[in-house]
Amino acid sequence: MSAQPPSSLSTDDAPPVAVTNATSELKQPPAEKPSDIRRRGYVILSFWLIVLLLGLPIWWKTTTIYRADLPLQEMLDWSDGKACRPVFPLRISIQANSLQDQEAQNLLRLTQHALDDLNDFAGHHLRLQLSPPLGDEATSATNNGSALTIRLSPGEATTATLDPYEPTLDITYPPNNIPSPTASSSALATYVASQLRSTFGEEQATISYLLSTNSMPSEHRPLGLSPETVESLAKRTTRSLKYSPTYHLTFSLFTSGALPSSWDIETAIEEYMKPVLDVLSPIHNFTIDTQVQLYAAPGVQNDVLQKQDLSSFINAAEWPLSPSIGGAPTINFIVFVGNQTIVTSPESESSQSWLIPQWGTVYLLSQPWDTTHVSTETLKQPLLTFTSHLFSLLGTPQSGSLPLRLSTLTRIRSADLLLRASSTLGSLARLALALPSISIPSSVADGVSKTMTHLRLACDNLGGLDGLEHARIAEAEAERAFFEKSMVGQLFFPDEHKIAVYLPLLGPVAVPLIMGAINEFKAWRKRRREKAEKGAEKKKE
Amino acid sequence: MKISNVLHLPAILAAALLALATLVEAEHTSNWAVLVCTSRFWFNYRHLANVLSIYRTVKRLGIPDSQIILMLPDDMACNPRNAFPGTVYSNADRAVDLYGDNIEVDYRGYEVTVENFIRLLTDRVGEEMPRSKRLLTDDRSNILVYMTGHGGNEFLKFQDAEEIGAFDLADAFEQMWEKKRYHEILFMIDTCQANTMYSKLYSPNIIATGSSELDQSSYSHHADNDIGVAVIDRYTYYNLEFLESEVRDTSSKKTVGDLFDSYTYEKIHSNAGVRYDLFRGGEEAARSRLLTDFFGNVQNVEVDGAKNSTIEEDLISLSKTIAALHKKYEEEEAALIKNSTAAARKKTTSQRKIQLAKPLTDDNWWTKKIAGATAIAGCALLWGVGSFFEGR
Repeated sequence: MSAQPPSSLSTDDAPPVAVTNATSELKQPPAEKPSDIRRRGYVILSFWLIVLLLGLPIWWKTTTIYRADLPLQEMLDWSDGKACRPVFPLRISIQANSLQDQEAQNLLRLTQHALDDLNDFAGHHLRLQLSPPLGDEATSATNNGSALTIRLSPGEATTATLDPYEPTLDITYPPNNIPSPTASSSALATYVASQLRSTFGEEQATISYLLSTNSMPSEHRPLGLSPETVESLAKRTTRSLKYSPTYHLTFSLFTSGALPSSWDIETAIEEYMKPVLDVLSPIHNFTIDTQVQLYAAPGVQNDVLQKQDLSSFINAAEWPLSPSIGGAPTINFIVFVGNQTIVTSPESESSQSWLIPQWGTVYLLSQPWDTTHVSTETLKQPLLTFTSHLFSLLGTPQSGSLPLRLSTLTRIRSADLLLRASSTLGSLARLALALPSISIPSSVADGVSKTMTHLRLACDNLGGLDGLEHARIAEAEAERAFFEKSMVGQLFFPDEHKIAVYLPLLGPVAVPLIMGAINEFKAWRKRRREKAEKGAEKKKE
Repeated sequence: MKISNVLHLPAILAAALLALATLVEAEHTSNWAVLVCTSRFWFNYRHLANVLSIYRTVKRLGIPDSQIILMLPDDMACNPRNAFPGTVYSNADRAVDLYGDNIEVDYRGYEVTVENFIRLLTDRVGEEMPRSKRLLTDDRSNILVYMTGHGGNEFLKFQDAEEIGAFDLADAFEQMWEKKRYHEILFMIDTCQANTMYSKLYSPNIIATGSSELDQSSYSHHADNDIGVAVIDRYTYYNLEFLESEVRDTSSKKTVGDLFDSYTYEKIHSNAGVRYDLFRGGEEAARSRLLTDFFGNVQNVEVDGAKNSTIEEDLISLSKTIAALHKKYEEEEAALIKNSTAAARKKTTSQRKIQLAKPLTDDNWWTKKIAGATAIAGCALLWGVGSFFEGR
C-alpha cells in the first residue's frame, strides 16, 4: 500500500479499467418478476381498452351526423303525384220546383250523360244532384256544399244567366223542351251541360294547366288545351303572386313636386277596396299601410311614356318601397301625380295605369299643378283599378260571377298549395339522398309527418275551404321542414382536411400506444419461444 | 278502344311538348343580386371597390335595395388609413363616390361568413332574420351572383379565417334549384384561379364566368397613389366599362354574349372563362340572354287598355255586389254566433284552466333542476364550512 499521491487518483487510468470491466462482463438487470410483466401487460391492455371501449365510441358518437329517418319513398310518391290524385268533385244541385220528380230525375240523368261525354279531364268532375224541391234557398245553396245551384224555371226561351250575388245559374226553358221519359237525348239537357261546361271551363283549364306544369304523371295530364289557352294561363300564373296567408298592401302617393301633400286614402280604401278585402278574407288576410312622398323623381323623365319606359318608371334606387315591414309579401299600389301619358301604339288611346307582374300597380294621376289635397272622389278611379288588379295579382279567374270566381280561386289555390307542398317534400327527399353528409334533425321528420297528414286531409277534402286550410298548413310545415335552420354548414370536407385535423391530434397519442402494443407482443412471443426451447431441452434430458 | 288511345298519343305528345315549351319560354318577374366581397383589411381595398361598383351598376339599372344582398366584410370608407374618409373610389380619377349617401349593406364585418353565405342562398335562416337580409326568390327570379376575394384551386377564402369550396357552392345552388328558388343565375367571380370555382356546379340554368384559369392570377387594374392601394381588379374594371358604355339604361339590347366577347387576354391579363353547358338551350340560348335580364330589373309590364270607362262601371257594380254579399255574410255570421255563444263560453272556461306557468321548452328540464339544486346545495355547504372555520 504505497502512499500514492492524490494525483494518481485522477481519472487517467482508473476509469479505463472500470470501462473494460463493464464491457467485458455487462451487468444484466435482474430478471423481471413475472408479476411485473403481468402488471405491464395489464397497463397496456387497460390503455387499449379505454381507447377502444371509451374513446372510439365517444369519437363515433360525437362525429356522426344525426339523420332522422324520413319516409323517403312516400315523400317521393307525393311529389310524383302517386300518393294523391287531385280530384275536384264539384256537386251541382238542380232546383226544378216546377218539374215533376220523375221528369227532374230524367233530366238530371240525361244532363249527367251529356256532361260526362263533354268532359275529358278526370281531375275535375261535375256531379249533379237534385235538391229538395221546396227547400229554403239560402240553406240549400250554402249548406249542402254544392259549388253551384241551377235554378230551372219555365219561360219563353232557353236562356242562362249567372246570379251576381250567389253561386246560382238561372236557366229558363220553354215548357215543351222537357225530355220525355223514354228519350235518350234532349236539347235542354245538352244546353244545361254546355252551359255548365262554359261556366267551369276556365277553372278546369287552370287546374289542368297547374297539374301539367307540375310533375304529375302523364295519365293525369289533361289533353286538349289550345295553345292560346296555355299562353293566357301562363301569363296569368306569371302575373299572380305566390300564395301567402297574409299580404301587405302599400299605397303610396308620389309626386314630383311639393304638391299635393295629402290625400283621403283612408276613406277611399274604406269605400272602394274594403268590401273586396272582406270578401277575400276567408282566403287571405291583408295589412295596409300608406305613405306620401314629395319630390320623387321617376326613373323616366319623358312626358310621353312608351311601353319599354314603363318597366323603368319606378325609381327603385330612391323611392322608399322597401317591403321589410312584417313577414308578409308586399303588393305595391302607387299613385303618381304627374302629367305623363302612356302611348303604347299610335292608334290606341292613352291609358293611365299598368300592372307589374307579382309586384303591383302604378297609376298616373294628372292633377292641376296647385292641387294640395287629393280627394276621395279623385281617388275613385285609381282605387277601382287597384281593386281589379288586386284580383289578377291574386290569381282570380276572370270569367263568371264574383261568388263563383272566389270559390274557383279557393280551389285553384288549394291545388296550387297541394302541389307546392308535395314538390317540397320531393325536394327534401332528393336532397336527403343526394347529400349524405347533411344532418337531418328530428324536427324535420316531425314536419314531414305533419305535412303528410295534412296533405292527405287536403287531398280528401279538395274543393272546399277545409281543403284549403289543410293545404295551407301542409305547405307551411313542408317549408319549415325544408328550411330547417340547422340543416346547413359546410357539407363537404376534402380528405386532406380530415388528415390535417386528425394527424396532429391522434399521432402523438397513437405512436406510444401502438409501439407499446408491438413491444409487448414481441416480448410475449420471445417468452413463449424460450419456454418452448426449455421444454424441448428438458425432454431431451 | 286501343285505336282511340293510339290516336290520342300525338295529342298527348303535343301537349307535353307544349308544356315543355312554355316552361322554357317562361319569363322572369323579379331580379335579385347577391354581391359578395370576402376579404377584409386595407390592402384589399380593391375587392370592396369591385363589389361596390357592381352594386352601383345594378342599382342604376333598377334593382331595388330590397333585392340586392350586399356582403362587405370590412368598412373601407371609415378605415383610419383612408385619406378620403367616408368614401370609396374604384378609379384614380375619383369621379364617383361609390359609398355615397344611399347604400344598404346587408351583411357587414364578421357577419360575412361561409355559413351565412350558404344560409342566404338556401334560405335556412331563423325567424329573427329580417326580410331585407334574405334572398326571397322564387322560380321566376333571375339572380346575379358576383363574388370577389382571394381564391385558389376550387376554393374562395372568406375573411382570412375560412373558405368555401367549389363543392359547397355547387351543393348550395343545387339546393336552390331543387326548391325552385331561381329561374336563371349569372355567376361571376373575380379571384385568382376563379374558373375552378364554377367547375363543380351541376345545377341547370346557370351561366358562369370567371376571371382566370387554374394556376393563373387575377390582377388589379391600377392603383390610386393618394389612397395608396390598388382600387379595382382588371376583370371587374372591364366588365364595368362595358356595362357603363354599352348598357346605359334598361332598354339596352346588349346580350350576355356581347359582354363575354369583350373579354380579351390583353385587357384582363388572364384567361377569362365562361361556362354555358348548364344552361337550358346551351350556348346559343345563354349568349342571347339580355344583360338587363341579370343586371337590370326589367319586367314585362301589362298596360291597361283604353277600356277604363267600362272597367269602372263593372267595378262599381262589383263593389255594390260585394257590399250586399258582405251584409249577407254578416247576418249569417250573427246568426251563427248566436247559436254558438254557449259553446264558446264553455270553451273559454276550459281554456282558463290551463293558465299555468310552463317552461318554454321541456327538454332537459329535470337535469337543469338537478344542476340548479346541486349548485345551491354546494353554495350552502361552502357557506356552512366557511362559517364553521370562522367560528373556530
